Amino acid sequence: MAVVQDVHGHHDHHPSGIMRWVMTTNHKDIGTLYLWFSFAMFLVGGFLAMGIRAELFMPGIQILEPELFNSFTTLHGLIMVFGAIMPAFVGLANWQVPMMIGAPDMAFARMNNWSFWLLPVAGMLLISSFFVPGGAAAGGWTFYPPLSAQGGLGVDMMIFAIHILGASSIMGAINIITTILNMRAPGMTLMKMPMFVWTWLITAYLLVLVMPVLAGTVTMLLTDRHFGTSFFNAAGGGDPVLFQHIFWFFGHPEVYIMILPAFGIVSEIVPTFSRKPLFGYASMVYATASIAILSCIVWAHHMFTAGMPTVGQLFFMYATMLIAVPTGVKVFNWTATMWRGSLTFETPMLFAIGFIFLFVIGGFSGVICAIVPIDIQVQDTYYVIAHFHYVLVSGALFAIFGGVYYWLPKWCGRMYDVKLANMHFWLSMIFFNVAFFVQHFLGLAGMPRRIPDYSLQFADFNMISSIGAFGFGLSQILFLYIVIKCIRSGEKAADKPWEGANTLEWTLPSPAPYHSFETPPVIK
Amino acid sequence: MNNTEHQTGKASTLQVAKAVFWSFLGIRKKDDLDRDAKMIKPHQVVIGGIIGGVIFVLSILTLVKVVTS
Amino acid sequence: MTQSVTNINVTMLKKLLIFSAIMFGFGYALVPMYEKFCEVTGINNLLQPNAVDKNIKVDMSRTIAIELDANVRGMPWQFKPLQSSVKIHPGESIEVMYEIRNMSDQEFTGQAIPSYSPRFLEKYLKKFECFCFTKQVLKPGEVRQMPVKFVIDPEIPVDVNTVTISYTFFALQPGK
Repeated sequence: MAVVQDVHGHHDHHPSGIMRWVMTTNHKDIGTLYLWFSFAMFLVGGFLAMGIRAELFMPGIQILEPELFNSFTTLHGLIMVFGAIMPAFVGLANWQVPMMIGAPDMAFARMNNWSFWLLPVAGMLLISSFFVPGGAAAGGWTFYPPLSAQGGLGVDMMIFAIHILGASSIMGAINIITTILNMRAPGMTLMKMPMFVWTWLITAYLLVLVMPVLAGTVTMLLTDRHFGTSFFNAAGGGDPVLFQHIFWFFGHPEVYIMILPAFGIVSEIVPTFSRKPLFGYASMVYATASIAILSCIVWAHHMFTAGMPTVGQLFFMYATMLIAVPTGVKVFNWTATMWRGSLTFETPMLFAIGFIFLFVIGGFSGVICAIVPIDIQVQDTYYVIAHFHYVLVSGALFAIFGGVYYWLPKWCGRMYDVKLANMHFWLSMIFFNVAFFVQHFLGLAGMPRRIPDYSLQFADFNMISSIGAFGFGLSQILFLYIVIKCIRSGEKAADKPWEGANTLEWTLPSPAPYHSFETPPVIK
Repeated sequence: MNNTEHQTGKASTLQVAKAVFWSFLGIRKKDDLDRDAKMIKPHQVVIGGIIGGVIFVLSILTLVKVVTS
Repeated sequence: MTQSVTNINVTMLKKLLIFSAIMFGFGYALVPMYEKFCEVTGINNLLQPNAVDKNIKVDMSRTIAIELDANVRGMPWQFKPLQSSVKIHPGESIEVMYEIRNMSDQEFTGQAIPSYSPRFLEKYLKKFECFCFTKQVLKPGEVRQMPVKFVIDPEIPVDVNTVTISYTFFALQPGK
């Protein structure tokens, strides 16, 4: 690949110190900000998770009062979804998308800065809602009315935070779409784009499709609470079930928003360490599009027990189960990519393989939950908790870790401590399964979610799960240490530390210069 | 309808339908994909996708009706 | 970045912003769509009179006991049925009376929401008239007696002998 680049491109001044970060319009700086912010929120959400698991360590109420426990579960969900996973993917997109398509920066650099700086505001709103009278929102991360129509200032702060997060996501998505569609280097046709860019393009479209609907939903909730409307208020002729429909019309595509970029990252890592091109690139693109379309017509499988005619239940059950087809295509493509490749198991590859293995488990428990009679049995139990932690933690989060370990040498020009990084993988892998695998059993035995106490027969598995969760939480401190150590004193990394990598970003020097591809590279 | 469109080739309805169908399954041959990418315009994909989606929903509904009747 | 690319980008930005605005509106459009959908499919029409077949047959062989229940939420009203239970034959139409009394010195508007046990009773309970179809406004100290007229469809499963019909009055404050 013939590439012309501008290595010494520091011809303009940028402010130093804190103002560099506040004013920055550079996609790499903003990507870094996104990633650090999401890691900070990950620690906050993790702290809440530790609180939940500490309370559930033994039967009875020991640490958290039930109301506070409910706030913990609610805010844990909201912070992890909107504060940790989504910004982390946007951060990766900010760093990688321009470098992978040979663009000098994002399309709207100033809007990019704005969409990041909205996030800390929303994060502070969510966190500080714990300290207002009445406490933080406690009706679950899905904030169903009538619970969310009640509640105090904490709920209003949550609604406002969601508005801000939604605006930020929409702006981020618009930026990414425009960058990908208009700013590719000459010769980079759509079908030559790396998979990560493809998945982000489709994810960004999903974001502009459903984020405004969420904004509308929370606006309706807000007017119901304060301005006398009754969209969801049964007494005024509204319908709380309507909220669930509108929420999940957003919510189901949302879960694919959190997993499609993960698919993209894994589709970059697996070919690199198998030293083969991605098997079935075209199928991968089609399967991603297919998953995105299907995700918009399956929302009501979250509400099988909310009251629905049999025809509706069967429709959503069949449609949901069909998503397994394109998802299966992806899994087979990854395995086929590894088949007869010259595999090596560097840290990113470990996370990618861990992702594939555990995501398949989560996918299968998803198909099980899609079956109406089973779902009626397991809904709102720990089985569902286990299912979505398998797809969101060992799915989305493992892919993010993999992506960070894959690109970290490019970002900071230094190599991380591979031994420690591998240890981070194995600790995460083992403790994750200790924490969440047993929750399948708890759920099947009937332990309900979002309850601070449980009957005695659940005690042993809950203790195991809590030990796993503490271990998993502590392992993430190791991750922080690895990254800081890498930035401060890692060994100098080569421009292309992975011999099998062949996307555009590896043609840049490490660390990637502040301004890259100011002259577009030429792709043959 | 101008001439350049004819030169790059304009996708037939059947071709769009095929592309949409394969996208639902999530599998596509590389050659076919390249041809799709060259010939099919984005708005065709969107319209085809919406029609395909409606057909998909209707066929599941029919299946459900058959099962429940 | 050349001028032309900037222009294309801005066009794209406008399109996507308009699309987002449309989707925001779509969120709101889901509300009437949902109501229409429920109306067309006959799900969830608690607050409208049912159309009843005039030739409905009375099944004299069965008797169903109907328990009447009444609650008030968030208002200083007293609300009770005049009889706590009635016995009817399926297919036979009946009228039961409820009474509301405003215990405060303020005017209140309330809306009654029905709830049934067993849940599938909704399918078999045909109401011609109900105070729950409209809002009720009570002046300070006012008392009102209100009827519910209904029939229970003889199609109701044979193992059902006792059903409960419950109404809850919720406060509707105009202007708030």
